[in-house]
Amino acid sequence: MPKHYRPAGKKKEGNVAKYVTRSQAVKLLQVSLVTFRRLCILKGVFPREPKKKVKGNHHTYYHLKDILFVKHDPLLEKFREMRTYEKKLKKAQAKRNKDLYERLRTRKPTYTLDRLILERYPKFVDALRDLDDCLSMVHLFAALPALERENIEVKRIHNCRKLSHEWQAYIARTHKLRKVFISVKGIYYQAEVDGQKITWLTPHALQQVLPDDVDYSVMLTFLEFYETLLAFTNFKLYHSINVKYPPILDPQLEALAEELYALSRYLDANTRSSRASGSDQVEGQENEKQHDESDLRLAQLQHQLPHNEPGALMHLVEDAAGEDEDDEDTKDCKNLFKDMKFFLGREVPRESLLFVIPAFGGIVSWEGDGAPYREADQSITHQIVDRPTQGHIFLSREYIQPQWIYDCVNARVILPTEGYLVGRVPPPHLSPFVNNEAEGYMPEYAETIKRLQAAARNEVLPMPGTGQEDLEDPQRLLVEGIIDRTEAKEATEKKRKMETLKEQYHDELKMEIEGATYSSMINRNTESNAASGEAREESVPDLEQTAEDGANMAKIVMSRKKRRLLEAIEIGKKRKQANVDLLKERKKKNEAGQTSKAK
Amino acid sequence: MGAAGKKEKTTKKKEAKDARGLKHEEAEERVMEEAPRARSEPEAPDGGGSPVDSGSDYEDYSEDGDSDFELSEEDLESGEEGAAGSGSDQDDSEDGNSEEFELSESGGSDSQEHKGFVKTSNKGKSIINHAQDDSGSEISESDQRAEESDSSEDEVPSRNTIGDVPLEWYRDEEHIGYDVKGKKIKKKERQDKLDSFLASADDSKNWRKIHDEYNDEVVELTKDETRLIRRMLKGKAPHAGFDPYPDYVDFFKWDDAKHPLSNAPEPKRRFIPSKWEAKKVAKYVRAIREGLIKLDKPKEEPRFYNLWGDDLNSKDRAGHLAYIPAPKPKLPGHEVSYNPSLEYIPTQEEINSYELMYEEDRPKFIPRRYTSFKSVPAYENAVNESFERCMDLYMSYRAWKKRLNIDPESLKPKLPNRKDLKPYPVTCYLEYRGHEGAVVSISTEASGQWIASGSADGTVRIWEVETGRCCGVWSIGESVQCVSWSPLSELPILAVAAGQDVLLLNTGLGNEEDQKKIKDLLQVEISGTAGDSDEQPLVSWLQDDRHKHEAIRLRHFKTVTSVEWHRKGDYLSTVTPADILVVWYFMTMHLFDGAILIHQLSKKLTQKIPFKLHGLPVTSVFHPSRSIFFVSTKKNVRVYDLLKQKLVKKLETGLREVSSIAIHPQGDNLIVGSREGKLCWFDMDLSSQPYKTLQCHSKDITNVAFHRSYPLFASCSDDCTAYVFHGMVYSDLNQNPLIVPLEILRGHVSSNGRGVMDCKFHPRQPWLFTAGADSVVRLYCH
Repeated sequence: MPKHYRPAGKKKEGNVAKYVTRSQAVKLLQVSLVTFRRLCILKGVFPREPKKKVKGNHHTYYHLKDILFVKHDPLLEKFREMRTYEKKLKKAQAKRNKDLYERLRTRKPTYTLDRLILERYPKFVDALRDLDDCLSMVHLFAALPALERENIEVKRIHNCRKLSHEWQAYIARTHKLRKVFISVKGIYYQAEVDGQKITWLTPHALQQVLPDDVDYSVMLTFLEFYETLLAFTNFKLYHSINVKYPPILDPQLEALAEELYALSRYLDANTRSSRASGSDQVEGQENEKQHDESDLRLAQLQHQLPHNEPGALMHLVEDAAGEDEDDEDTKDCKNLFKDMKFFLGREVPRESLLFVIPAFGGIVSWEGDGAPYREADQSITHQIVDRPTQGHIFLSREYIQPQWIYDCVNARVILPTEGYLVGRVPPPHLSPFVNNEAEGYMPEYAETIKRLQAAARNEVLPMPGTGQEDLEDPQRLLVEGIIDRTEAKEATEKKRKMETLKEQYHDELKMEIEGATYSSMINRNTESNAASGEAREESVPDLEQTAEDGANMAKIVMSRKKRRLLEAIEIGKKRKQANVDLLKERKKKNEAGQTSKAK
Repeated sequence: MGAAGKKEKTTKKKEAKDARGLKHEEAEERVMEEAPRARSEPEAPDGGGSPVDSGSDYEDYSEDGDSDFELSEEDLESGEEGAAGSGSDQDDSEDGNSEEFELSESGGSDSQEHKGFVKTSNKGKSIINHAQDDSGSEISESDQRAEESDSSEDEVPSRNTIGDVPLEWYRDEEHIGYDVKGKKIKKKERQDKLDSFLASADDSKNWRKIHDEYNDEVVELTKDETRLIRRMLKGKAPHAGFDPYPDYVDFFKWDDAKHPLSNAPEPKRRFIPSKWEAKKVAKYVRAIREGLIKLDKPKEEPRFYNLWGDDLNSKDRAGHLAYIPAPKPKLPGHEVSYNPSLEYIPTQEEINSYELMYEEDRPKFIPRRYTSFKSVPAYENAVNESFERCMDLYMSYRAWKKRLNIDPESLKPKLPNRKDLKPYPVTCYLEYRGHEGAVVSISTEASGQWIASGSADGTVRIWEVETGRCCGVWSIGESVQCVSWSPLSELPILAVAAGQDVLLLNTGLGNEEDQKKIKDLLQVEISGTAGDSDEQPLVSWLQDDRHKHEAIRLRHFKTVTSVEWHRKGDYLSTVTPADILVVWYFMTMHLFDGAILIHQLSKKLTQKIPFKLHGLPVTSVFHPSRSIFFVSTKKNVRVYDLLKQKLVKKLETGLREVSSIAIHPQGDNLIVGSREGKLCWFDMDLSSQPYKTLQCHSKDITNVAFHRSYPLFASCSDDCTAYVFHGMVYSDLNQNPLIVPLEILRGHVSSNGRGVMDCKFHPRQPWLFTAGADSVVRLYCH
């Protein structure tokens, strides 16, 4: 009997039974490959890797359960229906049956994706967790040109634009934006909603090219899902701040392509109304509409009024009321550009700044129709310009480059504006997503910012007494039952962080005093490392050798698997170090070049 | 025209007939081809045979056709084929050429004859022809009348009254027939061709004129007539006012009818409402009531609503496979910034060097610096990258993978602290210098006072361990392969393997009694060995007098590589791992039989080991306490029981090439060094597989050694290092031996690619001697 003999009629087991290849799956579902792809995208079904690839390495494997999951979806039937509908339509057209054709056209089968969304994301948090790709895609399509050839319709582009503006308006209104980074690829934003960090990329506001080697049908299927997801998410978010969704916008502003501003005003107006009247969602439809409109006007007025007017006061009161809901971080963000009034120049990329500045508590206007205030307004504190020279200069305000805003936002500190003045090359723009310590290389400007941050913290935010106590001994408090365990953990964490920071700072100070070069420090480090090893008391001159020997000897006794793993780790470390070294070397060269030039 | 001419004509006619018959199809084809020219007479070409279905005008036409045929005859006369010309001729006539006149003038007989032909061909339709004839005559009789009233056939009688007879009957007569009154109608004089042509050229109305042969006159067609002909040619009714499809006028007056046409009674269904209609209506009504049919357009419901509700009653995806969220895209680093620090921007040379890299190693993104935000261009790969991401999302496998966030320290095994395992050799304490070649082998004397070293320069030296003084030099002549002290401290005999010889040297150490014993032992009775047997002995025992003390020379057939003493000092084994070729040359019968020999010193006997070896032997060792013998071949180590004379065990090293073995003093454990730098520890009670394999050296291991009393072992290698290990064997059988690497001893220098050649422990102290290829022997102390 052969080794792998299986009696006839016995069920298959293991990987053969659990996994099917893609073509098998398509056959099983009795759909075309295109439809299968659509279904997979919409249902969120992805291939899974079997332990043993029964059919060979070059196949894609799906779990049978996944396929059955797709099979039981009503969407499958709906797609079949659509297919037959297409056929009917085509037939009617080919037979010149105009009557039937017209009748059929009004009966196009439609489908909705809300059930799918709920199925894929049973909780709202799940949806937020997966929102990154969704936002990036919607923002990308909002910037793309419509293309008839590739079925990219104008309607969808507009929808994308609308959705992205709605999202941005919500983020700006609730001050949930955390980080912004201008890269060559576009602008990265990071917001924190319900504890989820959501990062998305918006392309630069320029004409995008549509390459030919891209299958747009796949992208459009994704977009279809993402549009629905984002709309529902927006609904939920708007709902959470008591604003009606979809928002009704001022048509005048909409015509001027200032949807974002219109939206933010709408949000302002709505939240205020809802707050003022409590939870009065029971109002009649007509009333509400009127109310909205009047509020819109009110908001418009308020924006034009100076700050000491009662409207502004009311605003402040509301803010104060709202503040108790916000956490520490949001408060920080909210107050970053407080009491600052910005004006954007014509050449500045407006959309991004109109989003970022209000998100951090600033007031912003621009050149053009529908702007809240004019350039001549005396209360403007900062004017953002992106040109080599500025003609007319108001002495009461500072003229800065847009990068200042982003750097301030990332540092959470109002940075000195010297470096960012008109006509200067601004200091390097650093990514806020990089952990410089972990990376092992700290760019110069990052250090400057860090010092400024520390300074700002010491001056502006002296620790209140109770807070200090909290930090001092969380354990004791825990015992006393004043704070719960998680808080204690957080506190200890904070304390440790602060201590390490302090230590590092001291170290750096010391280093500076000593004027020691980096290499010597490295030596010292290795020395100390070696000293901490077992061969501490032997003061053999060839320390490096002994250290290496120690490592070698440990390796000898390891199993092969572990040894390989260790070697891999070491290689990774080495590569990282090489990168850092390269940066340092380049920096040194640059500096040398600069000094030589200066001479 | 005379008879001859007539004959000629007839023959011609016949020919023409034949030609017509034959070429009929061809002519038709022609016509088809010439369709554009022959504007609108598809059925015309064969005048006689053409189908005719209407009116008086046909006559004209047929005549026309006939005349044309005559023209074709003319053509024949001029040597062409008649049928071929017919189509084109008709065109001519259509176009209004006056050739017809010429023809008619060319001879009445011709025309008559021809007419006859026409008639015959049209025999079946004589009535129509009559009528036509009449009309034709009418036209010819009075043009004016014809003009006034369009051809009503009955009114105008024909001039000729011969009736429907062939015209050829009158061919030879002077008249063509008779008028109403019975008078002969004379034939008219024929114009000659030239005159007629000139006349036709002058006369602009010529194209309207037709020669009526029946009446022998020229008829000029009126405009109306030509119009009629044209219409007929187009296949329409001749008169413009004729309506081929008039409305049907019912002749029956239904209102006043006294009796119905059908006598059947009116059916019931005429009086009751339709059942089927009622059913249909009911069905619709029901459908509308049930909401299956919606009459008004569905209201636009708000597409979006609070999908997640309050999140309280949300259920997890039970019954499905776990959803694995896609990994988030990598966050951008400093280098992607539009304005990165200068150190992130590669120099031009570096960018150029990227070109030399492999495609996959090449960085995909080259940082650039823009001086202002507004100068940043659109990113050209934005759509592509988004698409890549989409593909990743639905095409790639997803699985939970443990992130390898391992502290490298945690990978290292927990070993006891080295400090607790002291003493072990750590530092170089002494160097024994004096050899001029690489020191190949060393051996410690049992008391630990002396060491012997053999070198490639052909000398053997004996050193005092503690002082490093050289107390004796023996020059062997050949490069020494191996030195080995007798394990008995009272018999300081040194076995030296050099070339094909093994020398047993009396070193001259020890007290008087010992010396005497040694001298006795090292005496060889020459006669005894010589007359022992007829066959050639394996080894010849010879007395060697070249040295200052007594010595025995054991001469082998091949080079000896290693010498090992039995623990009692009486036996010693030698290994001669000759190449296969050499072995072949010497003893083709027994391949490796003589490779390992055991010599008994007291009886001066030599014997082969009684076992079959598989593979080339490398070294051999005696068990430290029992009568067990270890032989290592290149791959395996075989363990033999010497008393029972059988194989006890085969240890599979799994190494590529074994270079050396050493036995733990208790005898249950064994270490094997290999040429790939691996060290295997065998626990013979455990299994025949290595208990542990240590990859320690980067080059060949040359030798391994156990300490006799301390739990130490060492290995030395060509990479100029010697490793010292702690190798504790517990008496408890359940506890596995503990192996801890202790120290890496360096100091030797590589020469000719060889590093440390041999290592030996001091018998009592935790000291290690190493022999280097740099001709130095080193002592490492704790």
